[in-house]
Amino acid sequence: MPPRLRLPLGNLRVRIYHHILPSQQCTYASLATTTTPAPPIDQTIRSIPPIARFPLNQPPSHKPPELRKSQLHRQYQSLLKSSPLILLFQHNNLLALEWMGIRRELAYALRNVDTERATTSHQNLYADAIKIQIIQTGIFASALRVVEFYHPESQPDSPTQHPSNPSTTSSARIPDTLPTPDDPRFTHGLSRRAHQAAANRKLKLELDPLLSGPLAVVAFPAVSPQHLKAALSILSSSSDFPAPKRKIQPSYHEPAVQAGLQKLMLLGARVEGKVFDQEGTKWVGSIPGGIDGLRAQLVAMLQNTGASVTNILESAGRSLYLTMEGRKCMLEGGKKETETEKRGE
Amino acid sequence: MITRFLTDVRAKFNPFSPRGKTVRLFLSLLPPNARSSIKIETKMLPRLSKEPSALYVKLKDGKELNLDLEKMKITEVTAEVDRHSRLLSRKEELTGS
Repeated sequence: MPPRLRLPLGNLRVRIYHHILPSQQCTYASLATTTTPAPPIDQTIRSIPPIARFPLNQPPSHKPPELRKSQLHRQYQSLLKSSPLILLFQHNNLLALEWMGIRRELAYALRNVDTERATTSHQNLYADAIKIQIIQTGIFASALRVVEFYHPESQPDSPTQHPSNPSTTSSARIPDTLPTPDDPRFTHGLSRRAHQAAANRKLKLELDPLLSGPLAVVAFPAVSPQHLKAALSILSSSSDFPAPKRKIQPSYHEPAVQAGLQKLMLLGARVEGKVFDQEGTKWVGSIPGGIDGLRAQLVAMLQNTGASVTNILESAGRSLYLTMEGRKCMLEGGKKETETEKRGE
Repeated sequence: MITRFLTDVRAKFNPFSPRGKTVRLFLSLLPPNARSSIKIETKMLPRLSKEPSALYVKLKDGKELNLDLEKMKITEVTAEVDRHSRLLSRKEELTGS
């Protein structure tokens, strides 16, 4: 049988090209450079800017950033900065099953609030953002100190050029492009300056006595009394915030959930930087209609005062007018009388 | 802390006073299933109250402990409770099983 591929015999031979090997071709380095392409014209005019030795979103931090505590610190700082309303709970040895039940009931109640608000065309639906979360108390306290006492915006910036910015000229003298936390340019929450600001023990937090023992927080992305009310009625029900009825929410009355709720204690709340105790928290939760309700109250109050103010201001003018009119009438009457008297004479 | 012999715990504290910490830590030391065997009552005082925090503990043999929390720390409180609990456990070992 003849081969299926018909190749000429010359193609099957292995060829060795000795004469075009590059090592043999260029024997001088100067000759080799001539063959490489010229650099782009930009690079011949000015060289590339100096390079930072760390990514822009990962500036060097005071403590090693790969540790869990550093990451928790950063996470708690962002939690504290982003949520104006935080409830603090103490949890006394809850079981995982009980936590699960409580989380489920809380999510259910908050979702109900959201569906209610959606029907009245409210835009702010927060149910998915509100969760109960166990915190590492010491790290949370430290993060709170940084959030309260470290304000990099208020400190004067050293005018510097960032090395990885393309507009920075190559001749610019940049103090330190190496990742050392000593650099005062770093003003993030984990920086050395933040750590030093928070380490000042003379500054006392209002929330300090609460931050001990096992703690859990419920963080709200906005001060929304309706959501707060729902959360309070689940987590620490009282006469003002009645727990859901057995018919409406039967899973709330399961023994696991109830046993867990007995072990949760509401300690206080942090509302827009201010600290409230249990009573204060309940007061915030009992604001009717939330911020809209407050606005309506304010508008009604201002309208009433406005009306009364105009009344008062008007009344002065009116009384003046009346007295003047009275006087005028009196004088005219007097004139007439004198005229009639003259005529009579 | 030995919690087997506790029958009654009544706590009253102000979370905003530094002395309230002891009571809170004591409550956090009770085991998860404590409420099935121990009667626990907690009362939280408002923030501005000057009332001192109080902890009342009753043990199985009827011994009542009213702990003064103005000076004691949590280690001293647990030591005090354990002292009586250990007596009870020894007694139990000698009489029963």
